[in-house]
Amino acid sequence: MTEQQLSSQQSQPSKPWSHQVGIALLKRHSARIGLLWIGILVIIATFSPFLASSHPLYMVMDGKVSSPLLMHLSAQDWVWLAAFSFVLLLVKWSRPLWQKLLLWTGLVIVSALVANAFASPPTLIIYEQYREMQAAGQLDKVIYAPIPYSAKDYLRDYANTGVEAPLEATERTHWLGTDENGADVASRMIHASRIALGIGFIATGIALVIGTIIGGLMGYFSGIVDIIGMRLVEIFEAIPTLFLLLSFVAFFGRSIYMMMVIIGITAWSGYARYVRAEFLKLRQQDFVQAAVACGLPLRSILFRHMLPNGLAPLLVATSFGVASAILAEATLSFLGLGLIDDPSWGQLLNQAVQSSTFNWWLAVFPGGAIFMTVFAYNLLGEALRDAVDPHTNRSRQA
Amino acid sequence: MKLLEIKNLSTDLGGEGHWQSVVKNISLTIESGQTYCLVGESGSGKSVTALSMMGLLPETKFRHPSGSIKLFTEDSAAGLELLGADYDLMRSVRGGKIAMIFQEPMTSLNPVQTIGDQLDEALQIHRPDWSVSQRKDRILAALKEVLIPDPENRIKEYPHRLSGGQRQRVMIAMALICEPALLIADEPTTALDVTVQAEILKLMGDLQSRYGMGMLFITHDFGVVAQIADKVGVMRHGELVETGNTGDVLRNPQHGYTQSLIAALPERLQRPSRPEKGHQTLLEVNDVAVHFPVRRGLLRRVVDHFRAVDGVSFQVNAGEIVALVGESGCGKTTLGRAILRLQDVTDGQILLNGQDITHLSAKAMRPLRRQMQVVFQDPGSSLNPRLPIHTSLVEPMRVQGIGANDSERTERAAAFLQRVEMPTNSLWRYPHEFSGGQRQRLAIARALVLEPKFILCDEITSALDVSVQAGILKLLRQLVDEDNIGMLFITHNMGVVDYLADRMLVMHKAKFVESGDTESVMQAPQCDYTRTLLSAVPRLDDEYLASVGP
Repeated sequence: MTEQQLSSQQSQPSKPWSHQVGIALLKRHSARIGLLWIGILVIIATFSPFLASSHPLYMVMDGKVSSPLLMHLSAQDWVWLAAFSFVLLLVKWSRPLWQKLLLWTGLVIVSALVANAFASPPTLIIYEQYREMQAAGQLDKVIYAPIPYSAKDYLRDYANTGVEAPLEATERTHWLGTDENGADVASRMIHASRIALGIGFIATGIALVIGTIIGGLMGYFSGIVDIIGMRLVEIFEAIPTLFLLLSFVAFFGRSIYMMMVIIGITAWSGYARYVRAEFLKLRQQDFVQAAVACGLPLRSILFRHMLPNGLAPLLVATSFGVASAILAEATLSFLGLGLIDDPSWGQLLNQAVQSSTFNWWLAVFPGGAIFMTVFAYNLLGEALRDAVDPHTNRSRQA
Repeated sequence: MKLLEIKNLSTDLGGEGHWQSVVKNISLTIESGQTYCLVGESGSGKSVTALSMMGLLPETKFRHPSGSIKLFTEDSAAGLELLGADYDLMRSVRGGKIAMIFQEPMTSLNPVQTIGDQLDEALQIHRPDWSVSQRKDRILAALKEVLIPDPENRIKEYPHRLSGGQRQRVMIAMALICEPALLIADEPTTALDVTVQAEILKLMGDLQSRYGMGMLFITHDFGVVAQIADKVGVMRHGELVETGNTGDVLRNPQHGYTQSLIAALPERLQRPSRPEKGHQTLLEVNDVAVHFPVRRGLLRRVVDHFRAVDGVSFQVNAGEIVALVGESGCGKTTLGRAILRLQDVTDGQILLNGQDITHLSAKAMRPLRRQMQVVFQDPGSSLNPRLPIHTSLVEPMRVQGIGANDSERTERAAAFLQRVEMPTNSLWRYPHEFSGGQRQRLAIARALVLEPKFILCDEITSALDVSVQAGILKLLRQLVDEDNIGMLFITHNMGVVDYLADRMLVMHKAKFVESGDTESVMQAPQCDYTRTLLSAVPRLDDEYLASVGP
């Protein structure tokens, strides 16, 4: 390197590693496509009650202005909206990424507690009432959401079977048809995107935290800690996740949160292996030895000096892990062991084969959504692997 | 007889429209039976030149805007143009007419093939008419020539059974097996110990005179140049700044850069006058031993101990630099780690300021860590690549309770950066933005911010270019004299010892074989091993230069 280059390099402000990875990531088309799809999903999931709901957004009845949609927002809806707005707020905050993440998680938990305590939408919901009132001409003015059907708005009275192909009915518009209960498929898919995103992030988050801590301790201390840890990893790897989920569902009923936790506590072993391998390598590095020689506490050595340097394979594994968690939930729902009333893509897929005729719209749209989401995460993981690998970066620049 | 001629060779590195010149318009001629040394610091374009002769540069990333490389052999008196030659011609030239030896013996042999197979392959390609027994005879002869003991059995073995020096011998045998007209050696001895290096250099010299081949020898070490070269070319930033006969260039360098390179050799540095010191003992090591258990069998029983350090005693006074000299694997790094309590000792006692720290717990050790600091060898890994320099410097101070708040600590960190002659705006940069020498300065600053009484330097200059090394050595001497720090300096470079150390300890096979004042040990070594070590690499002082040929 010439002196000229060196001096020109020094006059530029330096960027932290996370920024460099981000820039390298955004240069790749596959990452852009993946991020775009996930971004669309996040927005759909956050604003799903505003996109698809039987409750009118704005209603004037007898001269009284009201918004039944806002009245019927559940605690979950409020938490999603709050979490989304916190993201927008924190993006501009100039602090390290992990501090933002920590604060965000804290805020989301607080808002979840607040929302559960204060949000009390009416428990008895008659979706039909607005349509009846409108038909009777009682409403002066009404504005619906783009898809005027809630996920659980079963239109059993309208047709004989309930199942209707897209745009078959003349008096109502169902863009993606209806399922066997007569609920609008588009609406159910929009509301189900929350489960797809939530299960991916929460299950993988749990697995990441457990895996990083156990793997980190194994790698740093090695010896007896490593031997015990690796046996634990092997035990957990021997558990067939799907069958464990099946038996838990059979015993304790169907709960999405239980599924997240079970997927989380069985999936950590892979992350633990990655972290352990990285830490075994990093432990001998001079800067770690120097940190020990400076008398830094173990917490700082592990999480400040070693973890960021061993993060690369973990990031990649995470994006694939999110995809597989989504698939696990879809599989369970497909098998008929998922949620009963709440919408899920796998459940819709299940209905496609259960009825006597093959209802293509129940297979194509939810199946396509699952495919696209898993594909997006895999694209992202692939691009991330290239972005964090300094060799591929260098060869691109050269 | 003219063997190889390079005319106006330029090489660009880059791709996708961005090209940067790495070799600029160099011309040189190598004759049969002659050794041509290309000397220069890292990044000067030495290796690129060698690789372009062999056509080994990837075409997508390198291009040659101008120049020609001509190889003259018996069948082509007009010269074979190697630059841009087609694949078939290059294949017959590589190995057959030009052979190459690389720097790293550990990775240049294929680990999953026996040595015999690897040697055989070159013969199969370049001597297709030979029978199996003919080839085997040639392989054995080649291994005998490079002085591999017991070649009959060695050819059935895999590379991991051989030491670094032996592997390099096998590489030489492989290069010479087809009797090439030209041998290119790219830093072939840099990764080896000095005594092994001396043997390999002697061997290469012998073989060259026997075969009468030309040799292009790439090195950064003027000691090696003095030993082996007939002609020398000095490269800097891709330009050949000076060429000439070895003796002339070394004794009487014309170009300013050559002059500064030779002046930067540690044995030729100006010795500063040193203040008088008291003899206050800082660190005392008594009979320290570090043994690693060797476990075998199903139950992992301890069957033996590997003695990395076996009962050594010495002391370091305040304001004194003690050099610990030895070859790789002699236990010097393990000893250093044991002193810092990064490695448990098996036996013995380590006293810091009279306090026994041998068996202190990690917790009790923490406040004492402040007094002993370390600087490591590899500038690439000595700083956390994910943290800005500021964090690397401020965090230890915060933990050790130095400075009232972070702004005060930042000021201190900036002050120490100035002491190691780095700009203060380095604080907000990341390690990858600095060169190797700068990173070592930063690592020294990190050691200094805790105001230690003792610093361990583990081969801190061996990965650096000579001119950079000279700067670091001057800095260290100054710091020790100003702050009255005691320093243990681990190295294998005798020139560095001579310049820097007050006293020296020679370590061989886990034990000290000699110790004493630097001057007396250097002038009159008592032990055979010390003598071998000292004679292995010549120090380019005036006395030696006078004895170098024309």
